[in-house]
Amino acid sequence: MTSRSLGQFYPVASPVHALDPRAKIVATAVFVVGLFLIDSTVGLLFVAASLVALVAMSRIPATTFLRLLRPVLLIVALTVLIQVLFSRGGATLVEWGIFEVHSGGLRLGIFLALRILLLVSSAGLLTATTAPVALTDGIEDLLSPLKRVRFPAHEVAMMMTIALRFIPTLGEEAEKIKGAQAARGADFSEGGPLRRARSLVPVLVPLTVGAFRRADELAEAMESRGYRGGEGRTRFRELRFRKQDALALSITVLVLLVGILL
Amino acid sequence: MENPGEGTRPGGSFAVSCENVSFSYPGSERPALSEVSFGLRPGEYVGVVGPNGGGKSTLVRLLNGLLRPDSGHIRVSDRDPATEPFEVRKRLGVLFQNPDNGLVAPFVEDDVAFGLENLGVARHEMQGRVARAIRAVGLEGYERREPDTLSGGEKQRVALAGILATEPEILVLDEPTSMLDTAGRREVLRYLKALRPEKTVLHVTHHLEELTGADRILVLNGGDLIADETPERFLSDADLLRENRLVLPVVPRLALELGLPPTRLSTPEELAEAILARAESGTRT
Amino acid sequence: MTLELKDVSHVYAPGTPFEVEALRGVSLVVEPGEVLGIVGGTGSGKSTLVKHMNLLLTPTIGEVLVDGVDARSLKKSELRRRVGLVFQFPESALFAPTVEEDVAFAPRQLGLHEDEARERVRESLRVLGAEELATRAPFTLSGGEKRRVAIAGVLAMKPEVLILDEPTAGLDPATRQDLLALILGLREAGISVVLVSHDLDEVAEVADRVSALHEGRVRAAGTPAEVFYREPAQAPATVQVVSLLKGSRPEIGAPVRFKETLETLRALRGV
Repeated sequence: MTSRSLGQFYPVASPVHALDPRAKIVATAVFVVGLFLIDSTVGLLFVAASLVALVAMSRIPATTFLRLLRPVLLIVALTVLIQVLFSRGGATLVEWGIFEVHSGGLRLGIFLALRILLLVSSAGLLTATTAPVALTDGIEDLLSPLKRVRFPAHEVAMMMTIALRFIPTLGEEAEKIKGAQAARGADFSEGGPLRRARSLVPVLVPLTVGAFRRADELAEAMESRGYRGGEGRTRFRELRFRKQDALALSITVLVLLVGILL
Repeated sequence: MENPGEGTRPGGSFAVSCENVSFSYPGSERPALSEVSFGLRPGEYVGVVGPNGGGKSTLVRLLNGLLRPDSGHIRVSDRDPATEPFEVRKRLGVLFQNPDNGLVAPFVEDDVAFGLENLGVARHEMQGRVARAIRAVGLEGYERREPDTLSGGEKQRVALAGILATEPEILVLDEPTSMLDTAGRREVLRYLKALRPEKTVLHVTHHLEELTGADRILVLNGGDLIADETPERFLSDADLLRENRLVLPVVPRLALELGLPPTRLSTPEELAEAILARAESGTRT
Repeated sequence: MTLELKDVSHVYAPGTPFEVEALRGVSLVVEPGEVLGIVGGTGSGKSTLVKHMNLLLTPTIGEVLVDGVDARSLKKSELRRRVGLVFQFPESALFAPTVEEDVAFAPRQLGLHEDEARERVRESLRVLGAEELATRAPFTLSGGEKRRVAIAGVLAMKPEVLILDEPTAGLDPATRQDLLALILGLREAGISVVLVSHDLDEVAEVADRVSALHEGRVRAAGTPAEVFYREPAQAPATVQVVSLLKGSRPEIGAPVRFKETLETLRALRGV
C-alpha cells in the first residue's frame, strides 16, 4: 500500500504538474470562492469546460480522474433528487401523487450538482498533480508570513510531512494487527454497531500505543540529526515562481470572471 | 572484572571519552549505567556488546545528548553533549535500530537532505552532498522512491546516507542490523565496512561476527563496564561469553570447539581452509 | 492433524495496476508432530504462504486441506483455533492491561469457561517461561518478554499446528536459543510447528523437514540435508563448511546440525 493508493497524487509529467504548488493552491482557493459567485448554469458549464481542458493537459487518464468523483456521486444524486422533488418554479413537468417536478427544480438541481462536481474536481486536480512533499512545502511557504504573529508555520508543515510519510506505514500496521487478532479468534464483522466498535479495541489500542512509540523513536532520530524546530533551517527543495505560474493564476481568474458574467 | 584493556583512561586526544558516567531512568531502582569510563581514539573501531537492558542503548543516548548523565563527564570532540547537543550532533551521527522510525520525509532524497537542512547548509551545497551520500550507500536511482516501498536493508542505507551527508567524524551504530533479514544485514554491513578507515566508530550489536575487525570490544552488563578487550582475547573467553549471554556464530564456534582460533575464522571458506591445513600438517608429522 | 496445501496460487489485487502473483503452484504438507522449516528470502512468498494455513488468505487457485477436508468447509473460528499463527513481531498486537488478560483473549473468544480460560493462561505462560510476568502490563516488558507473551497468547488456544513467522527476529542470541529450545519442546508435546525463517542456521537446528521458497514457488523440499546440500551456496554455515571439504574428503557425510557437524569434523582423518 503506497501513498498513491490514497487515490490522490498521479505521478506523470505535464505542464500542470510542473507548476509551482503555491500557485496551484492559491488558484484552487480562488477557484472555490469564485464558484460560489457564479449564478448561472451556463457560467458553470463554461468553467466546467475549462476544467476539462485542464484535466486533459494534466495527462491524467479520464478513468482515474472520474474515480476521484465516485465518493461524491451519492451526494450529487441526492441533491438533484431533493431539488427535483421539492423545488417549485417554472413549468410543471410531471405530477406524481404529492410530488411535483418543475422545470425550475430540475434546473436548480443540475446547477447545484454541477457546482459540487466542480468543487471536488478542483480539489482532486490539485492533489493529483501535486506531490505531497510539494504540497506541504507550498503550504509552509504560504503560511510563513504568519510566523510574524507566532503561527508555527514550519512546525505545521513538518507535521503534515510526517503524517504523509507514515500514513501507509500505519495502514500496514493496522492490517497486520487485525490479522494477528483474527488469528486469535477475533471477529470484526459480528454483531451490532456497539459490539463491533468494542471488537476494534484489540486493534486500536496496540495501534495507538505503537504510534506513540514510533513518535518517540522518530523524535529521537530527528533530534539526533540536529533538528531543533524551524530556526536556522534551510530547504532542500526549491520553489520557484515562474511565468507559467503567474499565467496559470491569471487564466483562473479570467475564466471565473467570464463565468460570473455569463 | 578488573584489568580493563588499554585506552580506558580518558585524557589525551580522544574523540569520545566517558569518565565515571552514571545514569538512572526516572522511577527505576537500578541504575542503567554505573560509573562507566572508557575512551575512543580517532579512527578506532570499537564494539559494544552485552545483554539487553545492560546499558548499551542508554550509552548511545548519553553520547549524543538525548540523555543527560546523573554524574560523570562525557566529552565528544571536546564538547559536552549535555550542554552543547547541537555541536555534538554535527560531529557524531547515530544510526538507530529501527529503519522505519528514522525516516522522516516522503522521498529518499528529501530524507537524506534532512540533516543538512537542520544544520542550515546552503541549498547549492546540499545537492552535491546528498548525491555523494546516496552514492556512498549504493542507492543511485532511488532518489524519488518512497520509504514504504523499500526493503529493510534499503531503509537502513537511506538512514546511513542521511547521516553521512552531514559528514560526522564519529559514527555510533545502535544495533543497526538487528531488525533486518540476512540479505539486508549483509547489504548494510558492506557499506559500513567501507567507512571504517575514515571514521571513528562505536558499534553496538548482538552479532559478534560483525565485530571481527574491531580494535576493541566493550562489554556492558547491568550498567557496568565488565570488559574492554581485543576481539582475540574476547572471543576465546568462553566464560565471558556465557556470563554475558553472548553466543558465537556457528563458524567461530566450530573453530573454537576444534581448537582453531575463532577470530580469524568467520566464514565457512576460512574454516574449511584451516581444517584442511591442519589435516595436511598433521599427516606430514 | 495433517495440514496440506495443494497447488496453491495467490494473486494480490487481481485486475488492478498493483496486481502481484505472490504464490505459484505451491504444495506442501505439515505432518503431525514435526517441525517444518520454510525458508526463502524477502519476496519469496513465505508470509503469504503461512497466511493460507489458517485461511487469513484464501487461495486464488488450489486448496487448503485439513486431514483431507477442504479447510473452507470448516468454521473459521474452529480452523483458527486448531492452526495457530504467530506473526512477525507479534508483540505489536499486545493490547490488554495485564499479561494475563492478553493471553486470555483467545480462550475467551473461543467461548471457554472463565476457569478453563485462566487455566489455559497459566499453562501457556508456564510453557513460555513467563509466569512471573502474569500481572505485569505488557507495555512495560522488554522485547524478549513481550515476544513470549504474544506467543503464549496463541498457544492458549491449544492449537494442533503452531506457525511461527520469524519468531527470533530482533532478539538477542541467548533469547533466540531459548526460543529454539521451546520449539523443540512443543514438538515433544505433539504440536506441529511451522517455522518460517530467513535464518538458515536456526532452521538447521530444529527442522525435521524443509521447504525452500523462491519467488512464490517451491524451489526444493525434503529433509534439511536434502534441501541444503542441493544448494550449498544458500545453506546454513554447517552445510557450507562440510560442502567445501567434500572435494578433498569425499567420505564426509551430510550433517546439518551443529553437534553432528562438529562430530563429523572431529572424525576427519588428521583433524
